[in-house]
Amino acid sequence: MSVITRLGDGSRVEMTREQIMADIQDGTADAADMGGMPALSSEDMERICEIICDRNRIVGVEPGNEVVLTYDIGQLDFTGDNGNSGNGVDMGRLEAALLHERALGSDTFELAHADYSIKPVKPIIANEMQTMEEIQNEIVIPYFYGAMPNMGLYYAPDGPYGNPADLMREFKLEESFAASEAASEHMARDIEYVSTRMVKAGADGFNFDTTASAGDADFVGTLKGVEALRKACPDTYINVGMAGESVMGIHGSIEYDGQTVAGLYPHQQVKLAQKAGASVFGPVCNTNTSKSLAWNLSRAVTFIKTCVDEAEIPCHVNMGMGVGGIPMCETPPIDAVTRCSKAMVEIAHVDGI
Amino acid sequence: MGDTAGMAVPHFMASGMGGIRTTGDLVARMEYAKSMKVGEAKAYVAKKLGIDTMEIADEYVMRELREELRIGTVTGIPGAPRGIAAKMNIENILDIKVNSCEKFREMLTR
Amino acid sequence: MPRGANPNAARKGGTTQEKTKMSFDNEKKSLHDALVSCKIPDIDKAVQDAKAAGMPANEIIDTLGDAMSDVGVMFERGKLFLPHVLSAANGMKKAMDLLGPELAASDASGGASRGTVVMGTVEGDVHDIGKSICSTMLQCAGFEVHDMGRDVPTPKFIEEVKGGCDFCGMSALMTTTMTVMKDIIDNLEKEGLRDKVTVMVGGAPITQAYCEKIGADIYGESASETTRKAKELTA
Repeated sequence: MSVITRLGDGSRVEMTREQIMADIQDGTADAADMGGMPALSSEDMERICEIICDRNRIVGVEPGNEVVLTYDIGQLDFTGDNGNSGNGVDMGRLEAALLHERALGSDTFELAHADYSIKPVKPIIANEMQTMEEIQNEIVIPYFYGAMPNMGLYYAPDGPYGNPADLMREFKLEESFAASEAASEHMARDIEYVSTRMVKAGADGFNFDTTASAGDADFVGTLKGVEALRKACPDTYINVGMAGESVMGIHGSIEYDGQTVAGLYPHQQVKLAQKAGASVFGPVCNTNTSKSLAWNLSRAVTFIKTCVDEAEIPCHVNMGMGVGGIPMCETPPIDAVTRCSKAMVEIAHVDGI
Repeated sequence: MGDTAGMAVPHFMASGMGGIRTTGDLVARMEYAKSMKVGEAKAYVAKKLGIDTMEIADEYVMRELREELRIGTVTGIPGAPRGIAAKMNIENILDIKVNSCEKFREMLTR
Repeated sequence: MPRGANPNAARKGGTTQEKTKMSFDNEKKSLHDALVSCKIPDIDKAVQDAKAAGMPANEIIDTLGDAMSDVGVMFERGKLFLPHVLSAANGMKKAMDLLGPELAASDASGGASRGTVVMGTVEGDVHDIGKSICSTMLQCAGFEVHDMGRDVPTPKFIEEVKGGCDFCGMSALMTTTMTVMKDIIDNLEKEGLRDKVTVMVGGAPITQAYCEKIGADIYGESASETTRKAKELTA
């Protein structure tokens, strides 16, 4: 019997049940080898196979298994261009927030700046604060401020510090380390500045999206920023969402709370996030566009299941284009999205998406 | 990311609680405010609302209950609390503080 | 097996010279282990030992090159970090310096690089980490890399290719900027340069299908895959 399924780039592919099962086994083995975690049990693998081979176009969780859906990138999914997978429909941020609340079943939402990075928010903080105050008067669901730490903006030519990767290519290791550390400290100060003000304006909390996109020093800077926010605002909601399954070692030895963060996987990252003061952690597993949905989903579930098992705080897995098993496709096929959604909830037991 | 119809809608259909259509916002608040895992958060909300955990994502049950409890409804009802007013009622029901309500109260002059 | 060697020689007993080549297994292992350890003094020592044992310079460099590919894969799997990669690359560079005269004497190409690569993130895109890592990996694999950085204007790519290079590597991290890759390829065609260069593309939104659609030659899912494919073309 053949099944029409997907590749990691979203294209359709026909596979037999045996081929799907073989890819599921390979996917979980790859994750287990990379992350030093247990592979999925035969029962879990069989369950993923059943979900992928389901003949229906869309699938869903059993009633009672529903989870919380949090949304990142704020209004940009409506207003942005295709760089944000946006619809290109200009509208106010209030309208976008209320549409998410009342038409899209969102359990939380967030306010975002068009650039979606923390650094550019600093000069326009008052504008963001008053918009937050205004929308909080109307909205019911938890409403965050969201932004990416995006430490790349602190390196030349955008920022004052040298680019560590370039410095390393010139074998200037010490200068590269110093640049990463200085940028990390700088970013932590900016995070504290922006996040505490947004909470002061009534935000339910702060969503750190795509954390560690610039590597290990980015992760450390964000954790320090989270720590500062938690200290200043003990009751605020803090979501730490990651950029990738592994923390890239651009610095290589920078530490948070005595632990080297380079090379950490989701189940290890979450422990540092909760130590820093995160309320909820957003683990990520990247999609390989050349592999099948079965391979990618099995691999993603392996990473996320271990993370959920070891976390003391709730985990809201990142399930967008190109992560969480979902194909890297601007218009993600809904058969693939619903299969990944169901598997993450019923096999990895995530607390939210 | 991914376009809204290909990302937000399928997740909502496949596994979402549905926000204020049911109790998604309330369960989310407990996960974030107290770092409760989803099972614990659902049980907490169900207990506070006086319903079964199976009912907290049931649109039929929650449509009426949300209106009755004045905690915000997904369809527009003139005179029904929304925004800060709905959240103040949520504070009382869930026994938590909501930041925007705290800021609102701070702005009031006695 | 070294190029040009008789495939039956070892089975039949082989020549003294070939038997000597076979005995370099220990040196190869030491070179590999030293490079993967990413410790420059260990790499230096392994190279000196291999040289002292009579291992030909080109074999030493080839062994280090293969080990460097393993270092790249280990970096991508989170087992090694960028300073390790660079340390290994530095060790390899020192070996090249040491063995340079012998390479030049034994190699018709004079120990020249595998080829020249021009790399850059396309105009409008400021993402640069992935491309930088890819440049580093290519450099370590023996390519001469000219990394133009990020947000590189399209005419700059064309100028560089006009100036002469074997590979043109383009990176894009956004669906809004990936289209620039096609513009560059179209411009290369207009200028009659397309057939003179191997075009490589990569970045988060790029796929094999997109590579084929825009008429590029190599798609790399990762820095190590790009390097492997480029090496295969120059083997």
